Amino acid sequence: MPYVDAGQAVDLGSLSALTGGAPPVAQGVTYERILRARSEPQNWLTYYGAYDGQRYSPLDQINIQNVRRLTPAWVFQCGTTGIVAGPSTYAFEATPIVVDGVMYVTGWDSWVWALDARTGQQLWRYKQAVPFDTSLCCGNVNRGVAVAKGKVFFVTLNAHVVALDAVTGKRVWDQPYGDVRAGESATVAPLVVKDMVIVGSSGGEFGVRGHIDAFDIETGRRIWRTYTVPKPGEPGSETWPDGPAWARGGANTWVTGTYDPELNLMYWGTGNPAPDFDGDVRPGDNLYTDSVVAIDADTGQIRWHYQYTPHDVWDYDSVMENILFDLDGRKLLGHFDKNGYFFVLDRTNGQLVRVAPFVDRITWGEIDPSGKITRKVEPRQEGEPVHFWPGPAGAKEWTHAAYSPRTELFYVPVQDLGATVTRQRREFKEGIPYWGASVTVDSQDTQGFVRAVDPRTGRVAWSWRNETPMCASVLATGGDLVFAGEPTGEFNAFNARTGELLWQFQTGCGHHGSPMAYSVMGKQYIAVPTGWGGWAEGFAPEMLGAPRGAALFAFALPD
Amino acid sequence: MATAVELSKVVNELGLNKQNKATLGRLLTHGNLGQAEERPDGRMHAEVRIPPDELTWDPAIVVMPHGGDLELTLTNDDDNTHCAILPSNGDLKFIWLPNHSRGTATLNLDGPGYYWFSSGIGNDEGRGLVGVIAVMGDVPAEARLDRPPQPRP
Repeated sequence: MPYVDAGQAVDLGSLSALTGGAPPVAQGVTYERILRARSEPQNWLTYYGAYDGQRYSPLDQINIQNVRRLTPAWVFQCGTTGIVAGPSTYAFEATPIVVDGVMYVTGWDSWVWALDARTGQQLWRYKQAVPFDTSLCCGNVNRGVAVAKGKVFFVTLNAHVVALDAVTGKRVWDQPYGDVRAGESATVAPLVVKDMVIVGSSGGEFGVRGHIDAFDIETGRRIWRTYTVPKPGEPGSETWPDGPAWARGGANTWVTGTYDPELNLMYWGTGNPAPDFDGDVRPGDNLYTDSVVAIDADTGQIRWHYQYTPHDVWDYDSVMENILFDLDGRKLLGHFDKNGYFFVLDRTNGQLVRVAPFVDRITWGEIDPSGKITRKVEPRQEGEPVHFWPGPAGAKEWTHAAYSPRTELFYVPVQDLGATVTRQRREFKEGIPYWGASVTVDSQDTQGFVRAVDPRTGRVAWSWRNETPMCASVLATGGDLVFAGEPTGEFNAFNARTGELLWQFQTGCGHHGSPMAYSVMGKQYIAVPTGWGGWAEGFAPEMLGAPRGAALFAFALPD
Repeated sequence: MATAVELSKVVNELGLNKQNKATLGRLLTHGNLGQAEERPDGRMHAEVRIPPDELTWDPAIVVMPHGGDLELTLTNDDDNTHCAILPSNGDLKFIWLPNHSRGTATLNLDGPGYYWFSSGIGNDEGRGLVGVIAVMGDVPAEARLDRPPQPRP
């Protein structure tokens, strides 16, 4: 009996309501437009909204007077189909990009969607197939796309950088830039600078060697690669011992850098050294781990660095954003580190201007106003448990702070929880986790805050306390509002000047992503991804069993 | 305690390789293994089928020697209707597999690593209609780290 002809397999997305195409709005996104991103506040053209990383939207239609009327305009749901890598670890961490009414956003497991930013209608989707056995330290996550010259750029969990046609969602070029056999992966949102798309690497918990790569926007040809751990003989190599430690040194770059076009310098944060907690196998400062590196955008050359935590044995990555701002005529950057301190640096040369704590409990050590570090609690003895604050997820993890040029205040999500670490030496084997310790993060006696910090003094201007750590990015707007989501699902709006909680909406799932603002046809929206997960056992273990969601909410004022 | 060498034998003895015997369904990926054949143009080809009343893919493990394009022929010899959801760069692929039907899927996979595919209706997945496409090989040299060779497990 002849077989019934079942035909050819089709894209699963064709069996949905997606339209299959987006307007050609991204064609006109040029470097020059991204340079002036804040001059077109209806759009959110680059990861932080602008190169300075301030996560500030000038839009003020939604403001302290009317925010109490904010309601959901639409919701985009994106639950998974089939079996995915790290199924218990997914989280919706992305920042959407909006260009002239079209939203581009990534999900976990290498999904990308183009949506109508006014209605939430799905326009196209792209899915990179991800090996189930991809090494992941902390979760099946992705932080977003970059858009320029008609293309949408994103990285895949298995360490490819991919360019998609922004109209069709079809792949234009695809470059692998990490070795999954070595334990590398990728989660960063790319950064477009000039004619390059620039990406960082993940894998610091597997003893890889961190790097930043620049690719040609049009062709995908690699232009430069900069390693964030020097080889023997290179500057900084004297901070590593003889032997193989440097080759497994970590310093990964899994959070997008910021960029000063006048100085032509990018500021990328680097991750922890490997092994995370066993410092005796890598004596020395271990450059450029836990640092900000100022990189010449054209060549990838490191011009200067500042190390926030030398010889880290607490897993205090410094990958999180370095926010560029000017104060009293000085070009500065502000950085909230996992180690619990807020740093202000001169961004022309890396000189320390100010350092101050932004969390209540810091026991690992102390940094005095001159930047001198006194180490106090370290997991030095094999098999001996030590407890310290902040825990390895830090007083602030990768989730972003914001800066409002209206209030001249920084706004930071704070995690106040400790951890017990017991050093346990292990042999290095490529592709196997390389922590050098047993780790238990506190699930009791924890709290969180949203805090406003004055960069002139380092002092806290206001503080809003939460029962659980605050583990999502904040957004500041021209309406003098600060938005921040909670692990328990509430999405909050605060008065940026006083910290008063003005509005709250329960989204049904914890927040571990980044809200943003845009407008279409004169109507302002606040968009926020909700999808609790990732390294929750690190930043809020008491919420490990919280509801799991997969939704992007857009809020607006009623017509 | 069974060793890895004895595993298939013990699985079969216990009836974990059958429908509604030891457990309700068949233990995942304990079917046969097939290797994709590479054609002169570099594209690869493999076949999988659903035997009658077994609720399994045969082979349940398809091995590609390296990343690239795989043309997969899917045959449903069962007296029930199934489908296939398959991994591929661009989007998941879907094909409906009525009783006694045959179709094809063209997949593009990076590798190295392994990918699941399944029949996504009812609980076909839980009963055993889950398979693996295992891609061998390495990433290109230009994507690897500049460091000396490191020990592996």
